[in-house]
Amino acid sequence: MASRKAQREEARARRLAEEKARQERDRRQRRLRMIGGVVIAAIAVAVVAIAISSGGGHKGGLAKGTAATKTVAQVQSLLQGIPQDGTRLGNPKAPVTMTYYGDLQCPVCQAFTLNGFKELVSKDVRTGKVQVVYKALQTATRDQQTFQLQQVAALAAGQQQRFWNYAELFYHEQGQEDSGYVNESYLDSLAQQVPGLNMSTWRNDRNSSSLGSQVNSDADQAAAVGANATPTLVFKGPKGQAQPVSGDIPYDSLQHTINSVS
Amino acid sequence: MKATTTDQRLRIAIGVFCLIGIGIAGYLTYVHYAGLKVLCLSSGGCETVQASRYAKLGGIPVATLGLVGYILILGSLALRGETGRAVGFGLALFGFCFSMYLTYRELFTIHAICQWCVSSAVVMTIVVILTVVRWLLYADDVEPARARATPVQSR
Repeated sequence: MASRKAQREEARARRLAEEKARQERDRRQRRLRMIGGVVIAAIAVAVVAIAISSGGGHKGGLAKGTAATKTVAQVQSLLQGIPQDGTRLGNPKAPVTMTYYGDLQCPVCQAFTLNGFKELVSKDVRTGKVQVVYKALQTATRDQQTFQLQQVAALAAGQQQRFWNYAELFYHEQGQEDSGYVNESYLDSLAQQVPGLNMSTWRNDRNSSSLGSQVNSDADQAAAVGANATPTLVFKGPKGQAQPVSGDIPYDSLQHTINSVS
Repeated sequence: MKATTTDQRLRIAIGVFCLIGIGIAGYLTYVHYAGLKVLCLSSGGCETVQASRYAKLGGIPVATLGLVGYILILGSLALRGETGRAVGFGLALFGFCFSMYLTYRELFTIHAICQWCVSSAVVMTIVVILTVVRWLLYADDVEPARARATPVQSR
């Protein structure tokens, strides 16, 4: 009898142990599934957010057809009648000089050029209050060779007093970042959009060693003023030089800085 | 008891780091909407980052999204059981992934560093570690204690 009772107890204990092990296994599996689900859901939402952030902006690229005509007309209307000399835009006797350290591939420079800068040109450069000088500072452009190539292309347009037409078109038609869109064909197509640019002179000027040296000299000057981001803007006027400012600065802030030096 | 004490400490730690995150994201949200200049140690780095197109997501400043995220993680601490821990971890993981993406953009696209953003990324990294530890500890300690307390039906 005692032996049968012991056997029953033993069997019961075994069943309980098995049941407990099974529950433990189920519990672990359920938790694993839950953790996996939460990780996948969080990463999926993050991927969507990153996709919106990366692709939500201006896709851009070289404008064609009517879009190109419209862009060229916009740039032309902004710059027409404003004197240009090399990378200088505006009256050379304007009391305030804004030095614009930029990278033609920099998306923040694009945002600034198409917004605050546009208003500055219309209101202060056109009226002879401010003159702008562009200097190259490599930030967004991946490799030095491409940076040099695109900057010299713009400077070559500057030899025909059309630097700003070229730079403005570049910013308007900036391609997707890091897509390697800047190549000979892109630079050539932009040049063809610049009204009145002599293409054969432009092509010859691109080989000028002095323009290449100018890019290096710009980098030295950027280092001298402590510019390490683009766009960096340095305002200088009768009252002295303002602290350099960086970013997509709105026109109101530009105006405030102009007033502080003039 | 031991598990409860550890959980309590983790909840406090998560809460403290969320409050730090709320402070950072709240400040950046405030300066954005007030149109003020961001206090920054490096020359113009914060302004460049704040002015970039990556500073907004669907038109909403990412600082505001961060603020909401920290508040939600803090709120998840009030939820009982595994659901609260899962929600807290999920939100923190999302925040961590997005913070890493933004830090990547700062370094390789915008080429400027905003100390406030980097600080928030560090805080979010700590929060995601704490929330995952809290959830895993729950799986190992609290639940078995409950399982033991529940009588198993004999057959």
